[in-house]
Amino acid sequence: MGVIAEIERQLGALRRRETAERDGHADLRMSTATHVVWAPPRWLPQAQATFARLEERHPARTIFLIPEPGRRARIEAEAALKDVTLEGAEREIYSEVVEIRLFGAAARHPASIVLPLLIPDLPAFCRWRGRPPWGASELDEVVGVVDRLVVDSGEWAGLPGQYGRLEALFDRVAVSDIAFRRLLPWRVRLAEAWPAVGKARRVRVTGPRADALLLAGWLRARLRRRIALTRRAADTVEAVAVDGRELEPPFGDPPGPGDLLSAELDVLGRDRVYEAAVQSVR
Amino acid sequence: MSNPLAEGLPVRRRPDPCAIVIFGASGDLTRRKLFPALYALAYRRLLPEQFAIVGVARTERTTKEFLADMRAGVREHGRDPLKSEVWNWLADGVRYVATEFDSDPGEDALARTLLELDEERGTQGNRLYYLAIPPQAFETVVGELGERRTGSGWTRVIVEKPFGTDLASATELNTLLHRWFDEHEVFRIDHYLGKETVQNMLALRFANGIFEPIWNRQFIDHVQITVAESMGIEGRAGFYERSGAIRDIFQNHLLQLLALTAMEPPIDFTADSVRNEKVKVLRALHTPGPKSVVRGQYGPGWVEGEEAPGYREEPGVASSSETETYFAAKLFVDNWRWADTPFYVRAGKRLARRETSIAIQFQRAPHPPFADVAGDGLRPNVLLIHVQPDEGVSLAVGAKVPGAGMTIRTVHMDFLYGGAFRTGLPEAYERLILDSMLGDATLFTREDEVEEQWKLVDAIIGAWQRDRPSFPNYQAGGWGPAAADELVHRDGRSWRRH
Repeated sequence: MGVIAEIERQLGALRRRETAERDGHADLRMSTATHVVWAPPRWLPQAQATFARLEERHPARTIFLIPEPGRRARIEAEAALKDVTLEGAEREIYSEVVEIRLFGAAARHPASIVLPLLIPDLPAFCRWRGRPPWGASELDEVVGVVDRLVVDSGEWAGLPGQYGRLEALFDRVAVSDIAFRRLLPWRVRLAEAWPAVGKARRVRVTGPRADALLLAGWLRARLRRRIALTRRAADTVEAVAVDGRELEPPFGDPPGPGDLLSAELDVLGRDRVYEAAVQSVR
Repeated sequence: MSNPLAEGLPVRRRPDPCAIVIFGASGDLTRRKLFPALYALAYRRLLPEQFAIVGVARTERTTKEFLADMRAGVREHGRDPLKSEVWNWLADGVRYVATEFDSDPGEDALARTLLELDEERGTQGNRLYYLAIPPQAFETVVGELGERRTGSGWTRVIVEKPFGTDLASATELNTLLHRWFDEHEVFRIDHYLGKETVQNMLALRFANGIFEPIWNRQFIDHVQITVAESMGIEGRAGFYERSGAIRDIFQNHLLQLLALTAMEPPIDFTADSVRNEKVKVLRALHTPGPKSVVRGQYGPGWVEGEEAPGYREEPGVASSSETETYFAAKLFVDNWRWADTPFYVRAGKRLARRETSIAIQFQRAPHPPFADVAGDGLRPNVLLIHVQPDEGVSLAVGAKVPGAGMTIRTVHMDFLYGGAFRTGLPEAYERLILDSMLGDATLFTREDEVEEQWKLVDAIIGAWQRDRPSFPNYQAGGWGPAAADELVHRDGRSWRRH
């Protein structure tokens, strides 16, 4: 039996068991998308933690692809149903989770596994954990079968150079960046400061490198001005100052990883504002 | 020049600076619904930065005591965690004014407080008055507000239901309001319209190409609208004895659900376009004859595993009360789209379960070739819109039972609203308060809608004066009187099975 047939068999058996256990009344299967997660083993725990939070907000068929190219070529797959109890609802909903380990050469050709598992007519997202391997077949194939690639440039070394490689994908797939989403409260703050910031010449960011680069790139692109960036390192964006004047920090707690990814899954088309920011980081 | 930094940012509907003044602030509604809604808006930063709340009520207490009560209300009934930074921001702008509604010194104190808030909080003279007061206090408060209206800033008035008790009183209220306020400044709340699932009804109908072509008498056999409550009158005998099910539910919620189901597509989603279409439906409603109306009152029984007293045994209810706790009717919308298509509606208390739903039952398949082998009678398709609980949409379709032969069974395809968009459904009051601050009256009832609704109710109640009902006529915990079943059985139909 092929791996896809085996996954479908497992899913079918699980659905029948759920229905039988509930006296013929199956829980509701709910999907708003297919969510592909490319998670090399070292990223897997973080990916699973984010997924646990995300699943409540965006029920989807989730496919974890775990590449292990250095091992003997084979594919192992395991399917599960995940129940979510909705507050105030009498029925639970469930969605499907498929974990696929791609060993050896299979790790370089994931499209043939992903394509038959995509839910028809619904958008397909891929959250690519870590820095994508630019030019590699696995990235090329995934980009070819999903509608949106979601990265977090905060996970990458070698910035800002890596943004140039990312930019090359913009005409092939819609791209989102969790680092840019993290900046949303600060971008709103800056937008609220308009027109006082309209002639900005310098921006100082206390925060991670990716966030600082993207914020400066966004300001340059939007204001169409040269704007110098200075940065003080911090784990999260703690302060932003324009021409020496500090902005009031955004209200409330910063969103968690699940919320950030969830927000990206609400975006369906190309994000031209992000693309312009990336093109202006340098 | 437009703000280039705003491009791509989520469009945030932030209202003008303003103060909301809640009359009747010591009531349950303020603690259970209004403050939790205001807190939820503050939590999401949807309130203007220059904002204030003034609670006005007869009860003597300080702002500090009022705030402590509201804080407990938010903790108990709010949908978000109580965060001190959010609460403190909201609480800083809260004042409480204890006053009799008809006292000049009290009105002076309120006016002074509002002027102070304009100075301290920058509310710029914009006022949103929320009238959560008994109808008998209405005239005094509206008159005072009108007389003291200043020229600076905008003024809007939110009016809670009940909006009158019949056509004459509703018209009188409208006349009173219009003496001081224009129609676009009046926001009559029907909180059902603030529910996400009710708004989703418009999305379902007008954002999907597949429904509208079959949304008419040629394809729809009939429509059933149910507003069922399992609870009783919860200590509100004084109110309920005067209103009954027809005024409490049918006049507003039920007729609004019917109007949204039957209305023509509006040309846009502006307040007047939507309300123009709804009022056309209300005008087209044919007054049902006595045989098309059923009223009932519950006797003792068991509801959700607990023994429940009959209505006449409820505290504060007269032992010979003729107030109806159940109402059902067969209605017709006399227009091109719906001619001869019955709308069966029912609303009641102490029914078997809480449920608000709209069921669109389609015509049977014209020639089912497998009628002889249908497992359960090959039922027609039903599109079921669940307003509460389990908000969502189901479609009942016939499907083949796997195996030899051709046995057909009805199965449900379900879309659970909260399951697909798990962002936490906002409470109706959040949406409605925000819309009124923004001056958007789309989800509020217009003067002519209210009057059309009362015209129909008055005509039905007028016929009731001629006979005495035999109450109680249904058991608490059931699905209403037998006559309600007969109402639909006569037409060869039945209420949906639950």
